[in-house]
Amino acid sequence: MRTRRVHARCFAIVGRMSRAWGARVAAASTAVLLTGCATVPADPDGTLERVQGGVLRVGVTENAPWVELSDGGDPSGTEPALILEFAERLDAEVEWTPGSEATLAEALEAGELDLVIGGFVEDTPWTELAASTRPYVEAGTAEGNDKHVMLAPLGENAFLVTLETFLDEQAVS
Amino acid sequence: MSPRFGRTELPERQAEALRTAVRLEWCTLASLAVAVIMVYFVMGSSQAMRAAWIEDLLSLAPPIAFLLAVRLVNRTPNRTYPYGYHRSVGGGHLVAGVALCTMGAFLVYSSAVGLITAEHPPIGSVVLFGQTVWLGWLMMGAMALTIPLPIYFGRVKMRLAEELHDKVLYADADMNKADWMTAAGSIVGVAGIGLGLWWTDAAAALFIAASILSDGFKNMKAAITDLMDTRATTFDDGRPHPDAAKVDAYLESLPWVARAGSRVRDQGHVFHVEAFVVPHRGMMPTLTELLDARDGCIDLDWKVQDVVLVPIDELPEDVGGPDRSRQSERNR
Repeated sequence: MRTRRVHARCFAIVGRMSRAWGARVAAASTAVLLTGCATVPADPDGTLERVQGGVLRVGVTENAPWVELSDGGDPSGTEPALILEFAERLDAEVEWTPGSEATLAEALEAGELDLVIGGFVEDTPWTELAASTRPYVEAGTAEGNDKHVMLAPLGENAFLVTLETFLDEQAVS
Repeated sequence: MSPRFGRTELPERQAEALRTAVRLEWCTLASLAVAVIMVYFVMGSSQAMRAAWIEDLLSLAPPIAFLLAVRLVNRTPNRTYPYGYHRSVGGGHLVAGVALCTMGAFLVYSSAVGLITAEHPPIGSVVLFGQTVWLGWLMMGAMALTIPLPIYFGRVKMRLAEELHDKVLYADADMNKADWMTAAGSIVGVAGIGLGLWWTDAAAALFIAASILSDGFKNMKAAITDLMDTRATTFDDGRPHPDAAKVDAYLESLPWVARAGSRVRDQGHVFHVEAFVVPHRGMMPTLTELLDARDGCIDLDWKVQDVVLVPIDELPEDVGGPDRSRQSERNR
């Protein structure tokens, strides 16, 4: 729905340009705009496209109150709640994978997961293996303020920006 | 304080060029400072952006070296520094060259590793005026802003470097050229990421790093050879400087001179000339003739500052004399 609207805007620009610049320039711009306009930034491995209408594979590691795991049931806590909302936006089913931070970060790097949550903070040590989102919430602790982030696959920038945009909206409302 | 290079009062044309160059270098420093701060805030995890940022940071060195050197060479030679302070230019030039070389090598390595291990650089978003914006747009915008000024600075400095025979200024002009090419390269790299091509960033970084390395190598080589007293060359090290031939031709035009040959070394801005002269029939010239000859040499060009005339029976081999006769050895 949203994508279609952006495409429509692209065509409007191309239409105006073709009058001004002649057919060859317009053809070239059409090519650029069709590939670029709706999808900057794009995912090298197409994570966002695959997740939309499909499955969002989320790694969860116990860290109350952000993520709480229970035997047999789905994880609970503030972050799983956010992710369920995010998945709904993308029309995706969530598939939870519990594990330690290290195994989840490696699975993310290997492309086996799309997202890892577990109350990670801004200075997370996993930035070699994962792309951290911008901090989406601050929480006071004994040592000061913790800025919380989630981990996305490295370089899947469309997915990362979509997730960050979603988290921004949650903070506002 | 009239502008001067050591003992040389600069002619009006060069004095004006020097004033312009000093003003231009301050402007360069100011614009680089703004660029360095701006790029730092949008750098993110793009390797190309990091390389471009480091290059901006390093290009602070030549203007600083130039401004320092201009102050130092303004002093006249004295007992402690009998050749004057001109070599401070060479020292600054060498330091800048080595810094560039080291950084270039480091960046070539890190971007090559990034390319080989297929690192996918993550570039997320930022919130700008309540809107979530992809950081890549800001990166490209910031780099685009850093393009026009270096192009302008580079062109003007190149002209002034020739006028003033200043190799640090020449190196700086050359770096300004690399600066804007670097900015253009990192825009391409980030744009590639935007289109989902993970490798464009590292590839652009590699290209930028290679240009830094080659810049550094060129400058280091030029500085070392100048400190080794190679024969004086033009400001861009393109060819031997014509002043050496002019001095020889002038001396040989004097009635008492049979042959003349000189060693000319570049002290940085000005030349130190040792001219060997063979008088006709081995007759020593008078003191007045020698003094006139020296002044005549100095009048040839403002760059010819420090002239030593050596009457001798036969020219040394290294300035066009017969074989086996060298200045460092006693003549036969």
